[in-house]
Amino acid sequence: MRYAVRRLGFAVPTAAAVVTLSFALIHLAPGDPALALAGDGGDATYYAVTRSRFGLDRPILTQFFSYLSRLIRGDLGTSYLQGRPVLSLIAERIPETLLLTGTALVLSTLIGIAAAAYSASRRNGMGDVVVTTLSVLIVATPTFWIGQIAILWLALRFGWFPVQGMTNAREVKTGFAAFLDVAHHLVLPVMILAAQEVGSVTRLLRSGLIDELESAHVLMARSKGLPERSVLLRHALKRPLLPVLAVIGGRLGQLLSGTVIVEILFGWPGVGRLLLSAMQNRDIPVVLGIFLMTSLTVVAANLVIDLLSARIDPRIGQAKLAS
Amino acid sequence: MRSPVFAKTCWSFPRKRARLALVVLITVVTVVTSSSTLAAIKKVSTKKPAPKASKKSVRKATVTTKATTSAPPTTPAPVTTAVPAPTPTPTVPSPARGGTLVAAISQDPGQLNPAITTAGAVHSASELMYNGLVEIDENGKLVPELAESWTVSSGDYTFKLRKGVTWHDGKPFTSADVKYTFEDPLPKFHARARASLLDAVKVIETPDPLTVIFRFYKPYSAFLQQLNVTEAPILPAHLYAGTDASRNPYNLKPVGTGPFVFDSYKPGAELRLKANTNYFKAGLPYLDGVVLRVIPDAGNQLIALEAGEVDFLYGVNGADLSRVKANKSLSTLETLSNPGGSNCIMSMSFNLEKPIFADQRTRQGILQGLDRKQFLDRILFGQGKVASAPIASGIPFAYAKDLKIPGFDKVAAARLLDEAGWKQVGSGTRTAQSVSGVRDGTPLRFRFLSFPTFALYGQLIKAQLGEIGVDVQLETADNAPFADRVFVRRDFDTNVISYCNGTDPEIGVRRMYDSAQIGPVAFSNSSAYRNANVTKLFEDASTSSSVSFRSSIYRKIQEILVEDLPYIWLVETTGTRVFRSTCSGFSESGHFAEAASCKK
Repeated sequence: MRYAVRRLGFAVPTAAAVVTLSFALIHLAPGDPALALAGDGGDATYYAVTRSRFGLDRPILTQFFSYLSRLIRGDLGTSYLQGRPVLSLIAERIPETLLLTGTALVLSTLIGIAAAAYSASRRNGMGDVVVTTLSVLIVATPTFWIGQIAILWLALRFGWFPVQGMTNAREVKTGFAAFLDVAHHLVLPVMILAAQEVGSVTRLLRSGLIDELESAHVLMARSKGLPERSVLLRHALKRPLLPVLAVIGGRLGQLLSGTVIVEILFGWPGVGRLLLSAMQNRDIPVVLGIFLMTSLTVVAANLVIDLLSARIDPRIGQAKLAS
Repeated sequence: MRSPVFAKTCWSFPRKRARLALVVLITVVTVVTSSSTLAAIKKVSTKKPAPKASKKSVRKATVTTKATTSAPPTTPAPVTTAVPAPTPTPTVPSPARGGTLVAAISQDPGQLNPAITTAGAVHSASELMYNGLVEIDENGKLVPELAESWTVSSGDYTFKLRKGVTWHDGKPFTSADVKYTFEDPLPKFHARARASLLDAVKVIETPDPLTVIFRFYKPYSAFLQQLNVTEAPILPAHLYAGTDASRNPYNLKPVGTGPFVFDSYKPGAELRLKANTNYFKAGLPYLDGVVLRVIPDAGNQLIALEAGEVDFLYGVNGADLSRVKANKSLSTLETLSNPGGSNCIMSMSFNLEKPIFADQRTRQGILQGLDRKQFLDRILFGQGKVASAPIASGIPFAYAKDLKIPGFDKVAAARLLDEAGWKQVGSGTRTAQSVSGVRDGTPLRFRFLSFPTFALYGQLIKAQLGEIGVDVQLETADNAPFADRVFVRRDFDTNVISYCNGTDPEIGVRRMYDSAQIGPVAFSNSSAYRNANVTKLFEDASTSSSVSFRSSIYRKIQEILVEDLPYIWLVETTGTRVFRSTCSGFSESGHFAEAASCKK
């Protein structure tokens, strides 16, 4: 409990530092939002009017404190480009993003654990060789390449899946048909996104499991005559799962920030693409909003993972408390 | 139950070999997969239904006509009355009705009000729902749209508006809408309209609901060219007046007068439009609806087209063009307008404030060291043509047709550079010998800045100029930092910009050469060219309403420019629309699907 409170105490300054740093960084970056907004046109007075409209003509510290004071009241500001509240811009993309990243995270974790358990229990067997080789290959192959190949073959050549988008463009479906439509569009992007994670989860867990399977308490469990499945899943899996948990914690940050490459590849309307276009157009409030949301997710996710690890292995909490 | 120990002893020997074999196997599969990818596409394409060969040639013919005919006067003589209420002439005799067209767009528009922005993403998504007072057709001719006719006298423009036009919500369209649009959103938020009209328009009068009079401080010749749906889309005053147009909720559920009516918008995904059954152009549109689908990657847009998920693309990567042309189920339409603007010339600027470019011979040497045909062939894959004058050929009354820009000639280039004092020893980089303002021994070396998307231009320039002893160092910057470096800080030596000339030199040409337009405005006079005579000639042309007089002045201007060479005009670029051969009737304007139809 004390450990939990202390970890929470760390989270607050981390978030504050993130806000300050991202604000400073984005204002240091070259490129004037007024110029970006005018595009191929505009004149000096247009720039001046635009800057004062967004308060960009005030001293940077004033801008920072007014941003902070609005932030504390839960106001992320208004997009320069779209003239709409940043909060609603981000919020309307969250369900789509979560659908993609959440599904991929759950799938990759489950498949990764299953593959690692299978492969560790048949160490050096043919199945193990296949699993480990495949996982190395997947981890080493760039996402955009696998994605392109998957689109060209599974979508264009065989026609099993749609090439792009989240729904069928030609007809708007309702009810269960709509669910199936989205699910059909979800398969390829989730597969591509999950593949990478499956690879790293499998590799990490397999090596941990192999050590664990030779440990004394597993021998003990076996000698009690427990079935191998129970030995594997209930006795051996627990400890090697800890580092995997940490890896998953890192991934949680992407849950809301989205994954730019896969979103672009499949035309998925996620937060990642919103961030990319906001950066290209110097839409500062949107960029800051997404930075903030992402880093808060990472902070929160790490907090949860730390607390969870401390629960699985109480020594973690005590050791950190002592130091 | 098999113990792990047993497994280990049993499989330890073949393990290494097995693993090796597997890796080899997978590598082979991978290589085969990727290399046969293109073959796969071709196979799929050929499987598609039989072609309609004639359409493609018809399209091409249209474009050629446009490029070569010296078009009818674009700006009318002192008094002009347009033919009232024309019936639109679709390209196909009896177009099929019904069906939904799915078009791909590259960027999410974010909001759907074209009057408050010049952003290409918003315009390509929203123009189907709006109208301008006047439309400009494929041949650069003015066509009545919301305005039925107009007269010009002593610099004042009087428009008679079309009767019986209603907004999508059923309210009548009147002169109050025009007055509001030109007084509030356009000068406040539309960057180009603001720059050209804010200080020029004195007053807008509306004597009755169907008449609008624009009075100018001094005659302004290009006004009629700036009234189409791209430059001045008309907004409904009854929904916008008294609000901040940039934050009005109707920006997300637009109400216009255009051929298509807003249905739904899902940010980042798609915009759905339905046919406007009350459209003032009788019989149009033919389609039941249009879906604008956001697909960011150009390569995937084409795959989606091949897979049958979309029907229409605004453009295609040059490298994919041969694949498109080989596919009999697809047709193309080459157009002078790109999503970013029309009549665009890729132009290399010299920062004339740098002493190394001060001598005209140096600039001409660099020009003649460049084989501009290669830019067309290697970068654009033939989409466009080598620029032959400073003003684009798509503005026929201003384009200097038979002007000669000195061509590729390495010997002449070397001689000019020698004369300018840039001497070469062996095949090394040239160095200065008594070049004014430059220390002796300074190498002829300069930076070349471009957007990442135009990086190939830099590579070709570097390679070609390397052969005449000029050392080019390549840099890239995204849009916003590029504008900052070139137009605000002027921290560059040379760059490449796609200068879109628009429909009148006043719109997109003058800004490049007018000495009053040097920084800090983006995409203005990048070279910092100062020539009082040229500036004055542009001013003369802008205040005259005689087309022949303006033609002669623009001719004079271009002759001076080709002599002075503040820029190198590399290539005129065109866009290639790609669509399913069963569809036809697309136009080049923002109303691309107004008269389009698709066979079932």
